[in-house]
Amino acid sequence: MASITIKDMSVSYNKGKSFVLDNLSLDIKNGEFCVFLGPSGCGKSTAMHCIAGLLHPMSGEIRFGEEVMTSANRKGRDKTFVPPQERNIAMVFQEYALYPNMTVRENMSFALKTKKVAKEEIAKRVDYMAKMLSIEQLMDRRPAELSGGQRQRVALGRALVRDPQVFLLDEPLGNLDAKLRDQVRYELKKIQEQLGITTIYVTHDQTEAMTMADHIVLLKDGHIMQQGTPEEMYDHPANEFVAGFLGTPQINIFFCEVKGNILDAGSFKLNIPEHLRTCLVPYAGKKINLGIRPSDLELAKDKMDVIKGHVESIEPLGDAYLIYVRVGEQIVVFKYTGEHAPKEKELLLTPNMAKLHLFDALTEKRINR
Amino acid sequence: MPNDMNIERSRAGQQAQTVRVKPKWHMTVLHIVYYLIMICFLIFYMLPFWGTVMTSFKTNSEVMTTTPITPPTQWTLEGYASAMEELGVPLLTSLFVTLFGAAGSVFLGSICAYALSKWKFKFNNVFFIALVAATYLPFQAILIPLLQTISALDLYDNIWGLVLVHTVFGMPMCTVMMRGYYADIPDALIRQAMIDGNGMWAIYRKIVLPNTMIATITVFVFQCTSIWNEMLFALVLGGYDSKPATIALNELAGTMAAEFNVQMAGSLILALPVLVLYIFMGKYLISGQMSGAVTAS
Repeated sequence: MASITIKDMSVSYNKGKSFVLDNLSLDIKNGEFCVFLGPSGCGKSTAMHCIAGLLHPMSGEIRFGEEVMTSANRKGRDKTFVPPQERNIAMVFQEYALYPNMTVRENMSFALKTKKVAKEEIAKRVDYMAKMLSIEQLMDRRPAELSGGQRQRVALGRALVRDPQVFLLDEPLGNLDAKLRDQVRYELKKIQEQLGITTIYVTHDQTEAMTMADHIVLLKDGHIMQQGTPEEMYDHPANEFVAGFLGTPQINIFFCEVKGNILDAGSFKLNIPEHLRTCLVPYAGKKINLGIRPSDLELAKDKMDVIKGHVESIEPLGDAYLIYVRVGEQIVVFKYTGEHAPKEKELLLTPNMAKLHLFDALTEKRINR
Repeated sequence: MPNDMNIERSRAGQQAQTVRVKPKWHMTVLHIVYYLIMICFLIFYMLPFWGTVMTSFKTNSEVMTTTPITPPTQWTLEGYASAMEELGVPLLTSLFVTLFGAAGSVFLGSICAYALSKWKFKFNNVFFIALVAATYLPFQAILIPLLQTISALDLYDNIWGLVLVHTVFGMPMCTVMMRGYYADIPDALIRQAMIDGNGMWAIYRKIVLPNTMIATITVFVFQCTSIWNEMLFALVLGGYDSKPATIALNELAGTMAAEFNVQMAGSLILALPVLVLYIFMGKYLISGQMSGAVTAS
C-alpha cells in the first residue's frame, strides 16, 4: 500500500505542440479510493497509464510513497523510470484483457507465477480470492466460456490476488449491464475497504464516481477542474463545468443580471439572500450565471421568489418525477418527490435559497463560497 | 372438430411446402450449359493428373504402346521403385531443408511481426515498408551476389546453405502475414501482461505465441509448400550433396529418356507430402486465413 504523488506531470503525443495532460499535480493518500472523472478525451486514462508506467510523461514526477517511479525533464527524457512489471501494481482494463489461452485459475495465478511465488501460496491466495468473488465454480473454464459479469469478476480477482501496492481500474464496469454494474460497484467498494489498497478508478460516469470515491479528481482537457470529496464537489462546485458534470439531471443554469438586491433572469426575479450579498457586491450591474439543481427546486407556497413555468413533460422515476418546465425560452428540470405529479399546466417553483450556485459569466468560476 | 381442421390445415401446409415451382425451359437449358462448361473445365484440369497417375502404374513397354490416359492393363509399382532409387536421398534433403527453412523463417518472421505490430520504436514503419518491398524482390535479380555470398560463407553445396537462404528469403513474407494476425491481439492483453510482471520476450512466449497458434501453423504450412516446391535456389546454390527432390526429379526427366512411368511416379511422390499437408491441415488453414480477416472481439 502506498500514497501516490504526481507533480507537474505533462503528457504530449506530438512533441509538445499540444498537451493531453498539462502540469498535473495531485496527492492521493494511502488506502484512498480516488476516482479520475471526466468526459472522453480529458486525459484521465492517460494519467492512469502514466501511473502504471505504460506511458512516459513528457515532464513531471510520479512517486509511490517516497519511491520515485517516473521522473522526466522537459525534453521528455526519463531521469528515472521504473517499468510497469516492477511497480507492484494491479490493473483492470475495460476490456478485461483475460488471457484467452488460460483457464480462470491460470489467469489468476499468472502474475504470481511470474513473481515465482510458491505453488501452495498461489493456490491459497487464488482460492481465497475466488471465494471472495464467488467464482469458485468457474476456475477450470476459459474466458470464452464466461459471461460479461463473470469475466469482470475474474479480472478483478486476478488483480486483487497479487496484493498490489496500487490498484488501477480503467472503466472496469463499462461493459456490464445496469443491474450487474450496481452489484459489482457495491462489491468493489466493499473489497477495497476490506483490503485498504490505494485505488485509482477511471470513469466518465459521475454516478460511479459519487457512489464509490473517497476523493474525486474531475478533469477537462488535461487540467484538473476540481478535486475533493464527492459531497464537497457536489455542494460547492468550483466552476460551471463541475456543477454541470456532477449530478443527474444536470444543474439548471440561468443567465442573470445583478440589479441591487435582485437577481434578474428576465423571465423571473429573485431577491438576493443575505449570505450572498457580500460576494455579489463586485458584480453590481453585471451578468452572472445562476445554477439551481433540479432537486433544489420545490413548488412555491407563496409568491416570494417564484419561477413561473409551463409544464412541457413529466417523467416518472418511481420514487420521484422529473418535470420539464418551460421558463421563458429555457427548459428547466425540476425533481418533484411528492406522491403524485402535479396536474396543473402552470407551475410556480421556488429555489432553495441556501443552495444557489453563482458563477462568473466570463470565467465560469464560482462566486459564492 | 377444431382438431380435424388443424389436421387439414397442416396437410395443406405440407402440400404447399412440397409444391415445387416448375422452372422455365430456358432456365433448364442454361443450367445444362453451365454444367457442361464446368465439366469441360474439370476434364481440362484433371486430364494431365489422370494421365500422370495412369502412366505411373504402367510398365515402360506399355507406356510406349498406349496413350497416357488409358488405364494400365497390368498395374505395377516398378515406376515408383525406380523413382525412389533416384529420389530417396533428395527427398530427405528436401524434407530437412523444408522443415528447418520453414521453422527458421516462421520463427524470425513471428518475432519481427510481434515487434512491428505491438511495440513502438523509431522507424517502425520504415522497417515494415522495407520488409514488404523485400517480398516483391525478384530472386533472379540477386542470384549472382547471393551465390558469391554463400560461397564466401563456405556454404555452397551445403544443406545448411539452402536452409539459411530459405530462412532469410522466407522471413519477409512470414512477417507480413503474421503482422496481420498479431494486430488482432488486443493491446490491453499486452499491457496486462506487462503489469503482471512480464517483459517483452516473456509476453511473446506466454501470451502472443499461444494465442496465435493457428496463424503460426497457417504460415508454417504456406512456407513448407513454397520451400518444398522451390527449384531456383536449389539449382544455383545446391550441388550434388545438397540436391533436393525438385532437382532430382528434373534430372530424372533428363537422364532416363522415355521412362515416363518413372518420371510420373517421381512427380506424384514429390506432390504427395504437399497434398497430405493440405488435406490434414486444411481446416487450420481456412480458420487461420479467416481469423485475420475480422477484428478479434
